Order: sequence, then C-alpha cells, then structure tokens
Amino acid sequence: MSKKILIVDDSESIREIVNFTLANAGHDVVKAIDGEDALTFLNGDKYDLIITDLHMPNMNGIELIKKVRESDPYKYTPILFLTTESQAEKKMEAKNAGATGWIVKPFMPAKLLEAINKVTR
Amino acid sequence: MKDFKDKFIDEANELIQNLEKALLALEENPSDAEIIEKIFRIMHSLKGEGSMFGFDTISKFTHNIENIYDLIRNKKLKVNTDILDVTLASVDILRALLNENEDDTNLKNSITNINNKIQNILTPVNALENSVNQKNISIVKGVERNQQTRTYYISFKPKKDVLKSGSNPLFLVDDLYSLGDCKVFPHFDSVPDINDINASDCYVYWDIFIATNKGINAIIDVFIFIDDLSKIEIRKISEINLFNITSFLGIITETVKSQKHINIDKLNDLTHELEIIFEEDKKKEKNIYRSEKITESKISSIRVSAKKIDTLINRVSELITIQAHLSLFTKQHQNDELEAVTEEIEKISGSLRDDIFSIRLIPLETSLTRFYRLVRELSHSLKKNIVLKTEGTETELDKNILEGLTEPLMHILRNSIDHGIEDPETRIKSGKPEQGTITLKAFYSGTNIFIQIIDDGAGIDVKKIKQIAITKGLIEKNSNLKKQEILNLIFKSGFTTSETVTNISGRGVGMDVVKQKIKEIRGEVDVESTLGKGTTITIKLPLTLSIIDGLLTKIEDTMFIIPISSIEKIYAVEHSKLINTFNNVVTIENTQFPFFYLRKEFDLPETSLKLEQLIIVNYKNNNIGLVVDYVIGEYQAVLKSLGSFFKNNEFISGSSILGDGTVALVLDTSKIISQFSNYNKKFNSTTV
Repeated sequence: MSKKILIVDDSESIREIVNFTLANAGHDVVKAIDGEDALTFLNGDKYDLIITDLHMPNMNGIELIKKVRESDPYKYTPILFLTTESQAEKKMEAKNAGATGWIVKPFMPAKLLEAINKVTR
Repeated sequence: MKDFKDKFIDEANELIQNLEKALLALEENPSDAEIIEKIFRIMHSLKGEGSMFGFDTISKFTHNIENIYDLIRNKKLKVNTDILDVTLASVDILRALLNENEDDTNLKNSITNINNKIQNILTPVNALENSVNQKNISIVKGVERNQQTRTYYISFKPKKDVLKSGSNPLFLVDDLYSLGDCKVFPHFDSVPDINDINASDCYVYWDIFIATNKGINAIIDVFIFIDDLSKIEIRKISEINLFNITSFLGIITETVKSQKHINIDKLNDLTHELEIIFEEDKKKEKNIYRSEKITESKISSIRVSAKKIDTLINRVSELITIQAHLSLFTKQHQNDELEAVTEEIEKISGSLRDDIFSIRLIPLETSLTRFYRLVRELSHSLKKNIVLKTEGTETELDKNILEGLTEPLMHILRNSIDHGIEDPETRIKSGKPEQGTITLKAFYSGTNIFIQIIDDGAGIDVKKIKQIAITKGLIEKNSNLKKQEILNLIFKSGFTTSETVTNISGRGVGMDVVKQKIKEIRGEVDVESTLGKGTTITIKLPLTLSIIDGLLTKIEDTMFIIPISSIEKIYAVEHSKLINTFNNVVTIENTQFPFFYLRKEFDLPETSLKLEQLIIVNYKNNNIGLVVDYVIGEYQAVLKSLGSFFKNNEFISGSSILGDGTVALVLDTSKIISQFSNYNKKFNSTTV
C-alpha cells in the first residue's frame, strides 16, 4: 500500500536515490533537506513514516526526532534512521530519542523497502 | 543509476570545495567547534554517499579522516599542523579519486602515503583509548573475528505495548533468520481469554536458537530498537554451529516441549555433548569471495552558483542590445564587409542568448507527471471522477522556482480533489457534469508567471469560513470583512473547513504552509471562489531573469511591448469607427469587442491617422481590445526592471532596450484593463 513518507537528508543524491526507490515502489515521497525543513513539512501534513539522516546541518536527526516525538500526531509514527553510522552508542542514542529502526548506508533498494514494509503495516 | 552517480559527483565536488574552505578557516581558528563539526560532517557524507554510489576507495579513505575529526570533535585530539597538512593533502586526493582513474599508480601511492600519516596520528590516541576503555576493545574484536559460526540462545519477551512503537516482534524474528540457521519456539501461554484480549497488545514470547557467523553484536543489533522494558536475553551456547548436528533440532524441540522454560544451565550440558559428536564429522566451510568491478563515471555536468549565471545572463542581454544597435547601424551604412561581420555577430549572439537562457529555465511540464499521478490516485481512493487538464505547461520557469513550487502545488491539488470537487452524485444533482475538472494553467503576464489551479467544484462558502474563523478565534465576532478578506482567511494557520479530518488534507495546517512555501520563492498566492461554481487559486511568481515574446507596437513616439501570449487577434480599424462608439464597444466581423483607446487613456493628443490597430487580448476569458497606432512586429524582449521610480506604476511591468537604443515599455495587459475599467465608470456596464 502506498505510504506517505518524509525523507530527511542533507545530501541531494541520497534524497534522490531514496526518492527514486520509494516512488518506484508506489510511495508518496516528500524530501526535506534538514531537521528544520522536515519540521515544516511535518506541521503541514501527516506522514506515515519518516526516514532521516543522522548528521545534518541546522538540526540533526536526533534533535529532529526528539522534537517529532513531542508532538501528539507523531507519537507512534515509525521513524527510521538511514545513516553511515553503525556504532552501538549512536544507535542507543537514537533509540532513546524515539527511533524505530536503523538502516545503514550503503543500502540495497530491496533492503530499504523491506525495512519500510516492516515498520509500516 | 548513472544519473544518481553524476549527481553524486556534482555534490561531492561541492562538498570537497566546502571542505577545502573549512580547512583554511580551521587553520585560522584551530579550536572552532563549528568548523570541526562541519569537516566531520563533510567526511561523513563523502563516506556514506561514496559507498552508496560505488566509490569504495573514497569511502574507505574518508573513513580514516573522519575518525580523526571525530576524535577532535570529542576533544580527544587537538588540531595541529600535521592534521591540517594531511587533510589538505587528502582534499586533492579526494578530487582525483572522484574525477580520475583510481587505478592510477601515482594516486595509489599518495593514498598509501596519506593513510600512513593518518595512522601515525591515530595510533597514539587509540592506544590511550584502548587502555582506558577495555570494554570497547572487546566489542571491536568481537566484530572483527566473526568468521566462526557459533550457536546462540535468545529469550525474547517483548513488553505488552511493543506493537505501538511500530516494531513488530515477528519482523525481528525474520531479521534473525537472515543472520543464519534459526529455530524459533513461540509461547502462547500468556495469551488471555479472548474477551480480555487487547488487540494492540502483544502476549506472545519466544525462545530462539540461532547459529550465525556474524557475532553476538549482530544479534544485539536486531533487538536494539526494542524498548528497554522488553526482556531480551542472549547467550552463546556453543562455539560451533549446532544446527549441523542432526539430532540437535530434535533434542531442543523435546526440551522446550517438556519444560515450559528453557533452563540455560541444562542447555549448556546438552550442547557440550552435542559438540563432542560434532567434532567427529566436522566439515570445512568454503568461502566465496566476490569482487565487483565498479566502472568509473566521468564528470558530465558541473555546478555553478546561480549568481554567476545571473551575471552572465545580464552580460549577454547587454551584448544582444549592442548587437541590435550594430545591425541597425549596418543597415544605415551600406558596406558589404561590415554587413558580413554584422551577420556573423548576429548569428552568434543569437545562439549565445538562447543557450544562456536555457541553462536556468525548465518547462513546467517536466514536473507534471507527479500531478497527474496525484489526481488519478487520490480521486480514485476518494471515489471521485476527476480529470486534470493543463494549459500553457510549456511555460518555462527558473529551475529553483519550479522546485520550490512542486510541494505547494501538490498541496493545492490535494485540497481541490478532497474539498473542492464534489462526489459524482452531488455533481449530477447540482446539474454539473459527473466528471470534475481541475485545470492547471500557466502563463506569462509582464514580468510575472502566473500559475492557476482552477476547479469546477463546490467553491468556498464564505459564510461558513467566517463562522469557523470566529469559532477558532481568528477574527472578531462582529468584524466586517469583505469577501476577499474572508477568503484569505484560509491562509491563516490553524484553519480548516473540513468537518472530518481526512488522510489527504484537512488538518487545518496546510494552506498557510503553501503560502509560506510560495513566499520563499518570492511569489504570491491568491484565492477566488464562487459558491457552487468552483475555486481558483492563483500563484504569481517573479520572472527575475526572463525574455518574453512580445509584439512591438507604437503609440505616438513611444514603443510598447505587448506579450504575445495574451494576444488573440489584431485588426486594423478605421479611426472614425473607434471614435464614434457608444460605451467603447466596436463591432468587427459581427463580434462586439469592448476596447480601450490607449491614446486617450495615456492622455495623448488626438491623432490624424486614418487606420489604427485594435489588438484583441484575453482578459479573464473575455476578449478586449487595446488600440495602438502601429504594430511593428514580433520582438523577443529582454526584460529589464524600471527601477524604483516607477514602482508605483501598475500596468507597465518592465522595459526592454531596442536595437537603436530606445526604451520600449512592456504593458501588463491584465493590469491595464483592470485599472482602466475601474476608472471608467461607463465601462462597468459592459460585460467585464
């Protein structure tokens, strides 16, 4: 089923390839360039899933999801991290902030879609 | 994939450039945390994206430098000249890796060289780190020697509301299967009586046996996003893969069946016996190594700052003007040689102008697919019959403006589909065609581009809006607002007219975001609506750098340019016919045209011309004439703003410099008509 997905990444090429992968799978994708940008989108529409990078200017991924979890409509919305980082501490930090899952770059398109299917039923 | 790769190369080049800048700044301020963070982030991006797009060497190389800056960031290392030298040298290597053949021997040598230097920087710090933090070492080592397949036991008792956070325990089990051989025993004894079941709770817990060569950390990783309140216990029960022992599965199945819970100690005894059996028929594992050759992609595009292109466009505009001047001069002075040169210059500057303008401009139609898809899918899911029509989508917009426009347009379309167009039954009842129409229309008007989204739906109920705005406290109860002011309330944040909040739109935040987003691209948004007839949202966008196809006309001594896009027809009309009219309406070929006699509107003296030109332009679906003295011909006008002295002038939207150096004024036909029809009371009685 088509989901409305917000992808947050400061890299245009990553945004594009994630967008390409997800849009081809029939999802409705909106792209944000950093945490602050993402928040304006989240204020506007309801998203089924948020995929965010960790390191970004202005507002990083952790700060973003802390903010997102504060708002009622997004209390239980799945949030996935898509990042190169694979350290356990970082993952714990993300988890404590409210992340649902973690995908490590580089990703295979099939893996990404699989992960998305898992968190959005 | 190649497109993405090209994009990455563009982006990486930009990152590297920023990196170089940041490094130079760091040299000035070696302790500036912000710069260090920035360098770290650039390295990190290069690493991640590099690996994503097949630049493995870049990815590996940046990983090491990223480590250095991670340490600096965490205050475990201080910036010194060695570090700066190494990073600056690495900038050149990154560039080379990105743009040249990475198999080049010289390049390889310099990479090894730098890597050694990096190691020299990292080793002392790491040694210190390791002695301080024993735990870290064991984790690192665990990851590194992961070749051996071992067997683990996992007891997994998720907390009741685990499902709410989006994690599904079954998927975790799936993930475990991807690590290696797995045997899973679910336990259902906590599932309550059917009357007491809460569907969003999880009552099941699991005993899992798994054999994997990925190490215990990989298993921990699977469960890392499970809440702390869930109970997870992971134990290594054997140094070998017990699944290779035929009797293993039978034995554990028996054990789990006979005892409700697995007793770890008993399990250890059991596995010990099994291991002995295993030793006897040990097999060797084969490792298949695969190597992938990644083809190099050469640079096919470059990134240039928009400002540079703007400057370039201005220069070319000037060149065109001068060239036109030259052409005129050549015509006046007959000289074969001069003529030949002028012709050459004309040709070259013409194509130069076309090329330069095309750099930034993209036709609107390139982003139409998304809109068609949206309308199709959304109308389908709402069981509405809607068709999206487009007009003027060849209109070209500045790339940045077009990008910024897509989101707001999607939102407006969503609103039109959800709230605007009624369902088929209602439409038939109100005498409308069953199929609703949304029209996306783009056109130039003066120095602006207008984009309209017109739907023939229910329209906006002004009374209802006012009522809601009062309840929501957006306006005072007895405030006296005009229709347009009330309509504009939909752009206030926190406003929604939808009685039920739908998935598609109607969360009350939306149109204000649309307005915000359009403002960001220096545009304006406006709404018009007739109850029962439909709604029109108009987006007005600037056309900072633009050329328009215009019709060059003349009144008295002044040249005027009328955008061709708004012109329907041109008639030559006798002066007497225009003067002796009632209500400024002239009949030509059995059609009545209301018209404006511009000479009079501009307060110019009477003319002695016998024939004048009536230019019929389209204004809000009406054909209206504008009378000028002469039509000179088509003209591609490079628009120039008039400057602040003329900013209060409504109907002249810009100017252009003609070949002989004269200035021509660009008329905004819509503005001219709306302004003069307000002045001329008598005109109000006509159809406009």
